[in-house]
Amino acid sequence: MLLSTDALVLHSMNYLESSRILRLATREGGVRSVIAKGVRTSRKRFGNAVDLFAQGTAQLYVKPGRDLDTLSAFDVSHPRPGLALDLDRFSGASAIAELVMRCTRDASDASLFDELSQVLDDIAGAEPHDAGRVALRGAWRIVAALGVAPSLEVCSECHAPLEPDEPARFHHASGGVLCVRCARRIPGGRLLPPAARAALRAWTEGGDAPIGEPAELRAHQRLLREFLAEHLADGRPLKAFEAWEKGWSAA
Amino acid sequence: MSAIEELASELARLPGIGRKTALRLTYHLLKQSPEQARRLANSLLTLSDRVRPCTRCFNLTEEELCVICRDPRRDPRLLCVVEEASDIGAIERAGEYRGVYHVLGGRLSPLDGVGPDDLTLSALLERVREGGVQEVIMATNPSLEGEATALLVQRQLAGLPVSVTRIARGLPVGGDLEYADGVTIAQALSARRAM
Repeated sequence: MLLSTDALVLHSMNYLESSRILRLATREGGVRSVIAKGVRTSRKRFGNAVDLFAQGTAQLYVKPGRDLDTLSAFDVSHPRPGLALDLDRFSGASAIAELVMRCTRDASDASLFDELSQVLDDIAGAEPHDAGRVALRGAWRIVAALGVAPSLEVCSECHAPLEPDEPARFHHASGGVLCVRCARRIPGGRLLPPAARAALRAWTEGGDAPIGEPAELRAHQRLLREFLAEHLADGRPLKAFEAWEKGWSAA
Repeated sequence: MSAIEELASELARLPGIGRKTALRLTYHLLKQSPEQARRLANSLLTLSDRVRPCTRCFNLTEEELCVICRDPRRDPRLLCVVEEASDIGAIERAGEYRGVYHVLGGRLSPLDGVGPDDLTLSALLERVREGGVQEVIMATNPSLEGEATALLVQRQLAGLPVSVTRIARGLPVGGDLEYADGVTIAQALSARRAM
C-alpha cells in the first residue's frame, strides 16, 4: 500500500553503504520506521534535505505486519536549519523528538503531528537565551497532546480541589499534585511552588509562562524527566533529555 | 551454531553485506584452498593488531603518527576537522588541500547519546593551544548534527588566536539547477560570493 502523508524526520541512522533508517512522525500513520535506500548517494528521489527535523511530504510503501516501511520519495518543504544554529535549540529539539518516539506508536494522530511541528518551529525561532524554556513549554504541550498531562488543579488521588496559590507536592506515580491529606499518606514526590505549578498549568493548556532563574529551568527539566521516566516504565534512559539537561551551550 | 552460520553472521555485520551475500561469500571461501582462507584470517588479525588512531590527529595509522602528520610538506597552519577518518580520504582524493587534519570520532547526537565528551575535542583544543595553527576548517557533514558539532567546536575555540571557517555548501559541479532541491538552492544563494 502506498501512503502519501506529511512527515517529519525524528531520527536518522546510516544503514549499510548508502541507505538510512529514519524514524518519521507522520500525520496519517503515526511514528514509523522507514528505510530510505540510496539516500546517502542518490539525490534523485530525496534531494539533499532528508535531514533531522525536516518536514515535507513522504511516500511510503507500507506492508502490513512489517516493522520497516520503504520510503520511495520525500519532498522537503520545511527544513529547520535554525535548530543547528544554537546548541540549546538543538538539544531541546532532540529531547522533543525522543519524547515523541518513546511515547507514540503507529496510530494516526493529526493533532499531535501539528503540535510537534509547531513546537519545533517555536524552538527554531527561540532566542538562544530562551531556547531551554521554549523547549520545556513544548515538551509539556506534547505531553498534553498525548493525553497524559498531569493533574494540577485537583488532587490526583482524591480529586479534592487545590488552592492555586499554595505549594503542592507533585507525585509522579499518582500523575500530578496531591492535597495535604494525601501527601501525608503517600511519601515521595517533589514540592512544587505556586509559580511552578501555574507555569505547568499554562504550558499544558497551550499557554505561556516565564521562568526566572536558570535553576528554575533545571528544576523543571528534572521534574519532566522524572515524570516521563515514571510513566514510560521501560527502564531505558532518556539520552536526549540527559544531554538537554546538561546544557551543551555551556560546554 | 555451525561454523558456516557463525562466519555468515559475522560477515553480515559488515556494511553493504546482507544475509544472502554473507552466505554466498561463506560458500565461496569454502571452495577456496585452506591456505587462502588462512591468508584472509591472518590479514584480518594483522589489521586489528596494527591499525590504531594517530596520536596527534586520530587518523588511522600503523605508526604512532599517520602518514599525513609525518609528511613535512603538509602545512601545519591549516587544520581541517572531520567527523570520521574515512572523510580524510574523500578530501585527499580532491587533491586540493595541503594542510593537516583532526578526526573528531563522530558528531553530536543527543538521541544516540553522543555528547562533547565522546569526541576528541580536548585533543583538538590542546593542538590549537600548542600554537602553529592559524585556521581551523570545519568539514563536518552538512547535516543538522554536523552543523551543531561545528558550532560546538567554534564555541570551544573562541578566545584562541585562530580563525575558524566552515566548508561551503551548494550546488554540485556538473549538476542542473533545474533539478536541484529547494534547500540546496537556498543554501547556494545565501553562500554566494563576489565574482
